Amino acid sequence: MSEWLESAIARAQGINDWLAPKRAHALELLANTKWPTRKTEAWRYTPLRPVERTQAKVISDKVDLSPVSIADLSAIELVFVNGQFDQAQLVKTLPEGLSISLGGDLGSAEQTDALSVFSTIKPERHIFGLVNDALAQDVVVVTVAEGVEITQPIRISSLLSQGAESHTRVQVALAAGSRLTVIEDVQAQGESFNTAFVEYNVAANARLEHYRFALQTGSNVAIGGSHFNLHDHAKMNSTIVGFGSDLSRLDTDIIHAGEFADAKLNAMYLLDGKELFDLHATVEHAKPNGKTEENVRCIVADRARAVFNGRIHIHRDAQKTLAELNNRNLLLSDKAEINTKPELEIYADDVKCAHGATVAQIDKQALYYLQTRGVSRSKAQVMLNFGFINELIDLMPNAALAEWIRPIIRERFAQMEVK
Amino acid sequence: MSNTKSLLTIKDLHASVEEKQIIKGLDLNIKPGEVHAIMGPNGAGKSTLGYVLSGRDGYTVDSGSVTLDGEDLLEMETEDRARAGLFLAFQYPVEIPGVSNLEFLKASVDAQRQARGEDAITSADFLKEAKAACKQVNLPVAFLKRGVNEGFSGGEKKRNELMQMLLLKPKLCILDETDSGLDIDALQVVAEGVNSQRSADRSFIVVTHYQRLLDYIKPDFVHVLSDGKIVKSGDASLALELEAQGYAWLQKEPAEDELEG
Repeated sequence: MSEWLESAIARAQGINDWLAPKRAHALELLANTKWPTRKTEAWRYTPLRPVERTQAKVISDKVDLSPVSIADLSAIELVFVNGQFDQAQLVKTLPEGLSISLGGDLGSAEQTDALSVFSTIKPERHIFGLVNDALAQDVVVVTVAEGVEITQPIRISSLLSQGAESHTRVQVALAAGSRLTVIEDVQAQGESFNTAFVEYNVAANARLEHYRFALQTGSNVAIGGSHFNLHDHAKMNSTIVGFGSDLSRLDTDIIHAGEFADAKLNAMYLLDGKELFDLHATVEHAKPNGKTEENVRCIVADRARAVFNGRIHIHRDAQKTLAELNNRNLLLSDKAEINTKPELEIYADDVKCAHGATVAQIDKQALYYLQTRGVSRSKAQVMLNFGFINELIDLMPNAALAEWIRPIIRERFAQMEVK
Repeated sequence: MSNTKSLLTIKDLHASVEEKQIIKGLDLNIKPGEVHAIMGPNGAGKSTLGYVLSGRDGYTVDSGSVTLDGEDLLEMETEDRARAGLFLAFQYPVEIPGVSNLEFLKASVDAQRQARGEDAITSADFLKEAKAACKQVNLPVAFLKRGVNEGFSGGEKKRNELMQMLLLKPKLCILDETDSGLDIDALQVVAEGVNSQRSADRSFIVVTHYQRLLDYIKPDFVHVLSDGKIVKSGDASLALELEAQGYAWLQKEPAEDELEG
């Protein structure tokens, strides 16, 4: 076990609050968990040295930070600063049918409900998920009432100041037939360490539109997860945009717990320098007639390293499942690295399941076509690389977010091409 | 022997693809304002000529020379050939999802204006020009927002090529089997577009398998390309002759050559 984990466990042992039984359970599991090494499959390409060496510390003094504003986006802001939920930044009056509360402030019946969800959607295998169980200051609980459509998106921002350590936790419950958009974002300054986990329970016929931005670069360590439980006829559409850092690791789990659920996941990541980004996406088809479509695209420049593990598990009962996983990668330099591993495990016999992973250089025909119109080779390369990602940006349902992220990605491309 | 008035001069060009010689001693001289049709059977090297002139990777010039406006075309990168005024309208234009048609057109025009030392065009002015070009080739303006050629029908792709030609105003346009896959209405639209661009300082090479296109785009000269060489040249009436006779008569010649050799 690492010193870092030992000290984390020691810190967690002192906490006694409404989450105590969950924390105790997590600590018990952690005590029996080996610190991941190169031999640990889930961390094979993602060394934990940046965690072992981190100087980041919990900062309990109040710091004023607010999330970046996004033109044309009017969101309900749910803000964490250095791991503490900043109640003052939450709007006083919420739309009818929506509630956002700190778990500790809930009544005991609601707490019991919340506890029945806590750490049941997020799988227990994730060591930092357990760390988050044990160390998150509290849980912010979001609920949407039955049949209610919340048109304003909720943005969950985890903001970190220089050198801060933070563990944030949110759980979101969409009641039957409700609709909600949630944006998850981490904005970290300088060398920091964060774990950020959100669990979503999407009840029958409910619809979730989801975004997760992992744009912190440099010497930040960012580990987190978005985990979804889909009931009958539930729909989700998720977009993930990631830049790398010393260590960026994201786990998504989509569980088809009901029939006729429909999940779309579009993930794109762009890495430069010596950055690392690791996405582990797991889909569990536990019930019949589910549908999953995953598109993961990655561009790796310089000496950066990308990891993608896409697991689709179709259980014995999950007949008539349709699942597609498409992973396309572009390498911009000889030293760039991509480790991609699609994993299909199929135990039902009447399913349609397709997967593909490609690692390619740029499309030569398209390059030539652009050049025949007078566009220089280098400019054409930038255009094509951008186009490769832009295809997925075009699919983002929220136009304000698409227009916000497009120039940010364009700028990143410009930096990536300079070298 | 160089003719200063010539726009394109190809002398004894030999070129190969993957070590296989396709162009085997081709001569062609085109003056400003002229329209030359190149006809010939499949496999004669018609498309290869366009690729070689545009400098496509994998197409190697073994010997011979090509000048455009007196400049050595073969020394230039593909993009510089375009900037020098060469335009190749493709038989099968490539689809580029994620890159919008408008962005692509603007990047092309910007690059060419910059190369000519002209000021950059503003986005607003360019959009106006692009919309007008759309109208002229009968493409809905919405096509500017779509990915380059993405999901376009065969006819729409050809009209998109034509739109690029209108915006780039090249000196020499090579139309590579522009008629293939077009119905008669689409063919007329494309032909009208091409005809509207004919001028004293713009020349065309119209590559085609069939005479049909030449009913709409009247050539000044017709050349027959066979086995990598021009074997016969004439005026527009040669195209009609080919239409009547087909290309079968050409196939015998290499056999006779071999007998003589």
